[in-house]
Amino acid sequence: MDALEAFKKEADMPGEVERKFGGLLEKKWTSVIRLQKKVMELESKLNEAEKEYIEGAPTRGKRSPSEWIPRPPEKFCLTGHRAPVTRVIFHPVFSVMVSASEDATLKVWDFETGEYERTLKGHTDSIQDICFDSTGKLLVSCSADMTIKLWEFQQTYDCIRTMLGHDHNVSSVAFMPGNDYVVSSSRDKTIKMWEVLTGYCIKTFVGHRDWIRMVRPSPDGSLLASCSHDQSIRIWAVSSKECRNELRAHEHVIECIAWAPDSSAGAIIEAVGVDNKKGAAMGPFLASGSRDKSIRIWDVGAGIALFTLIGHDNWVRGVVFHPGGKFLISASDDKTLRVWDLKNKRCMKTLEAHKHFCTSLDFHKSHPFVISGSVDQSVKVWECR
Amino acid sequence: MNTCKVPASVVDTDGDNRWISIHNRFLSETREKDADVVFIGDSIIQALQHCEIWNELFAPLHCLNFGIHRDKIENVLWRIQNGELDNVKPKVIVLHVGTNNHRNKPEEIFEGILEIIHTIKEKQPDVYIVVPTLLPRGQHPNPIRDKLNKVNELLKEKLSSQPKVELIQIDNGFVLPDGTISHHDMHDYLLLTNSGCRKAFKPVYELLVQLLTEGEPEKDLTPSE
Repeated sequence: MDALEAFKKEADMPGEVERKFGGLLEKKWTSVIRLQKKVMELESKLNEAEKEYIEGAPTRGKRSPSEWIPRPPEKFCLTGHRAPVTRVIFHPVFSVMVSASEDATLKVWDFETGEYERTLKGHTDSIQDICFDSTGKLLVSCSADMTIKLWEFQQTYDCIRTMLGHDHNVSSVAFMPGNDYVVSSSRDKTIKMWEVLTGYCIKTFVGHRDWIRMVRPSPDGSLLASCSHDQSIRIWAVSSKECRNELRAHEHVIECIAWAPDSSAGAIIEAVGVDNKKGAAMGPFLASGSRDKSIRIWDVGAGIALFTLIGHDNWVRGVVFHPGGKFLISASDDKTLRVWDLKNKRCMKTLEAHKHFCTSLDFHKSHPFVISGSVDQSVKVWECR
Repeated sequence: MNTCKVPASVVDTDGDNRWISIHNRFLSETREKDADVVFIGDSIIQALQHCEIWNELFAPLHCLNFGIHRDKIENVLWRIQNGELDNVKPKVIVLHVGTNNHRNKPEEIFEGILEIIHTIKEKQPDVYIVVPTLLPRGQHPNPIRDKLNKVNELLKEKLSSQPKVELIQIDNGFVLPDGTISHHDMHDYLLLTNSGCRKAFKPVYELLVQLLTEGEPEKDLTPSE
């Protein structure tokens, strides 16, 4: 006993050695794994860089519209907003795009030259979502100020109508095919349909149990899909206002949804595999991104979840299908954009896009461009090859 | 009477009403933003969001920062009782307050912090509360430092029995062997520099990640090929 005490004194060891170093070994052990993971990540990144260097992306001349994907570095980094950018969309006809921001303004930019064109002011709080009609003559926006605004987008760029009716933050807005109606979703748990000509609310869809994050009409205009804080996606029949289906599988708030174009049906069915060849997959198909970090593909007709795309390290904030149908592109709070190969259900490219959360992205229907917006207040234009 | 336990708004001695403006802004932030983590407290918390590690580590976790410069325990108590935690559903709340209550006794400061913890639990019964220890202050040893040390001892002794409350020591390594605090760690011998911030709040970050990923499936770390 004395020897122990003497030894302790000699070694300058205070009484609480146990307490001080307890858990240290475990900590070291986990740090080894952490470092190992980092090494693997770096190695895979190096591999990818080498591959891109050796094989090379197709040159501008050789690129094909069904295969092109956005590639770094960005073509333009556009700054001007004074708060996080919440949404970016392409104009359907002209070479301009619009960004919406928490600074309550909309900004119009030329994505081919990178020039700033104008600012649209009128909202008094964060703008949450924007959408063009199919001709690009009208723009609709919605805001945390509880209003929806229509903007004339040909000559005057004036706000021509303000629609009131939601009792809370309006989270999302979209034109119905045909351009006669607009749908909106809100934190007040309702979806409303508005007549463009008069500004009247003509329908209200009730059923979600919490804040609705996004609403999107199906390409034929017969269905609406909406996603919510209640972790469900609901499919609504436009004509009867009836909720056709409730899709559940995500384990957290669902941030975004996108209807698949007809061109991607082949890739999705192939991804599901042989056992679904007997016509079990019905379509139409839908993609959703969630705070559970995953992206899911759904068969809306059959009402089932088909498969999951896993790879993002943080909330998924935006999903958009490649116009060619083979790929899906996503934006996330892990600051990246990712390109997913639908057929093989894997992430084929990661772009370190922004310095802060990526909030939104859009893919041009015919030109080789992708745009992204971020909490870092910038908008970036990515060229596809 | 223990003034720490009596909720009080800040008397606007300057005449510019900044304090209540900040409180109102926090209220509007709770209505618009969903956060997984809420930081609430004094200047140490406020200054944290201007440090490098805020953007690097904390921002990706989806945080809100409700720190106000010079706030005392009773002020934070008032803010919580007046709505700052009413519209949010965070998984974790980080609470650092007390360094400005240096006119109170250590026991009073401790009881004040406990009062805030109880108030938070009434509003958010499921939330984890992370309490970093109070940081030492002043270039040379001084009575306030001793007082805050005593508070930390009380916290260590008595907080461990509270469910879902995690005390984390962050005041290690700031007082140098000669008893001084370096301006490289705290530029005004109270508020943290970038490197000081990293030293103090890196462990808090690690604890947050642990609490936030609780229950998630383990990531497979074995190589795939």
